[in-house]
Amino acid sequence: MRSRSALWYILPIFIGLSVFTVGPVVASLILSFTHYGISETPTFIGTANYVELLRSSLFWQVLGNTLYYVLLYVPASIVVSLALALLIEKKIRGIAIFRTIYFLPVVTSMVAGAIIWSWLYNSDIGLLNYILSLLGITGPKWLQDPHWALPAIAIMSIWKNAGYNMMIFLAGLSTIPKDYHEAARLDGARSWYRFLYVTLPLLSPVTFFVLAVTTIGAFQVFEQTFVMTNGGPGTSTLTLSYYIWQTAFKFFDLGSASALGYLFFVLIVIVTALQFLIRRKWVVQQ
Amino acid sequence: MGRPAIRASKSLHYIALLVVALVMLVPFLWMIVTSLQSPETLVKFPPDLILTSPKFSNYSEVFRDLTIGTFFFNSIKISLLGTLGELLAASLAAFAFARMEFRGKKILFAVLLSTMMIPFQVTMIPVYIIMKWLGWLDSHASLIIPHFFGGAFASGAFGVFLLRQFFESIPRELEDASRIDGASRFRFFTTILLPLSKPALAVLALFVFMGIWNDLLSPVLFLSSEEKMPLTFGLAILQTVQHNFRYDLLMAGTLISIVPILIVYIISQRFVTNAFLRTGVKG
Repeated sequence: MRSRSALWYILPIFIGLSVFTVGPVVASLILSFTHYGISETPTFIGTANYVELLRSSLFWQVLGNTLYYVLLYVPASIVVSLALALLIEKKIRGIAIFRTIYFLPVVTSMVAGAIIWSWLYNSDIGLLNYILSLLGITGPKWLQDPHWALPAIAIMSIWKNAGYNMMIFLAGLSTIPKDYHEAARLDGARSWYRFLYVTLPLLSPVTFFVLAVTTIGAFQVFEQTFVMTNGGPGTSTLTLSYYIWQTAFKFFDLGSASALGYLFFVLIVIVTALQFLIRRKWVVQQ
Repeated sequence: MGRPAIRASKSLHYIALLVVALVMLVPFLWMIVTSLQSPETLVKFPPDLILTSPKFSNYSEVFRDLTIGTFFFNSIKISLLGTLGELLAASLAAFAFARMEFRGKKILFAVLLSTMMIPFQVTMIPVYIIMKWLGWLDSHASLIIPHFFGGAFASGAFGVFLLRQFFESIPRELEDASRIDGASRFRFFTTILLPLSKPALAVLALFVFMGIWNDLLSPVLFLSSEEKMPLTFGLAILQTVQHNFRYDLLMAGTLISIVPILIVYIISQRFVTNAFLRTGVKG
């Protein structure tokens, strides 16, 4: 049965989709070829924005910072999430409470998490360096140290987000048939081997999903730098998202910011496509 | 394994669980402790781990001096209205995608889902310009009205996806029966389908509410005056602009911003877990 009235039902979403997503995707491509200050009319300048960006050393540094952050954050965050999932997988008494606690940072806003951790990271009177000093370690200056600021943001983000991927891993673990573990146990496989040769391969489709989504999210890191460092000290935590926002809304160079946005988009697409390409090498098809 | 070995491995398991729980909770506990410090005890090093005289007046001070009350009210208003709008838009579209046939249905659905992949960095400048044209800059309209059309940066795709799944699970005979009784399709939608879908709507409401309450990007892009800001933006400004800010008050404000979402989460955490187990991996 064909239906005309369907139009009315999808109209709101369709308007939103056109006005806030499809339109802007096209518009920002056009804007990326213009010179456009916030209160002037855009003038067409061809590929000048892109050429200028690719020639600027700051762009490459920002790109480097972003990739460095992704490499710091993604593998560690996935390992931690999987470990948490394995820890709360067993149905023992009180496990629901632990699951709730591990998920608490996820429901908290990134802003709140970032503010709390800025205080923990305080190099003079912060709790973290105090705890480290009890262990005989002199903690770094964290957010004030160009070498430590980005790792500090990564650590905070792992704390904040691990519970999310933990839940997805937990859902994945619950789909692995018990018989497989049982059979491996009867063959005399110890728990570490069962993890390596049963759990990990059967979990690999879920791990792939987590990897793809977490990587995209990591590239977009914005709120942490906005609250904790403003890109500093120096430019050590200036990442692409923050740099795009800064170019557009601090320096009012909307043309260049649009070009940056598109380069960013292309980068994410390439990285995601690469992940799909090497998927076959390690993901077990069932 | 013998019994003692099982017991030992079980205790080890609990110890590991507790250690991780401690790591997860310490930042929250430290926020609470800090929020009750006085300016003198705040700067002490090594810090007092136990409070000798908690300063509860910090909380009234936060409401009096920091416009936290205004931020809080703004957050409530924006999140509630935005959630309402997104539920409306998503459930209408999900109904059409689940139960009606129309030209371009499959393509449209695919386009809708693929918009989830588009990063905000690409669309935010044109969206900002659109808000300027509409005259919504520095007004709550920019943060609320887009949700009645699926949202400025998410296009409601997640909600449509979630609800469509649920609507499809409701037997078609129900609709046929109500149509035979003379009810219009829209009447079936409002009086039968939506009430039956309360569990799915609740999960979606929770996610959307949490998303709006915790969002920093949209307020940062569209708002400029302090009295319009929600908690996220207001607190972020207090943290970044006033560098020597008193962390005791900032932590009290942060705690106030977390409490509503914690209450909602703890009440509904069973639903959240189930939602993850059912839809989490499909993505």
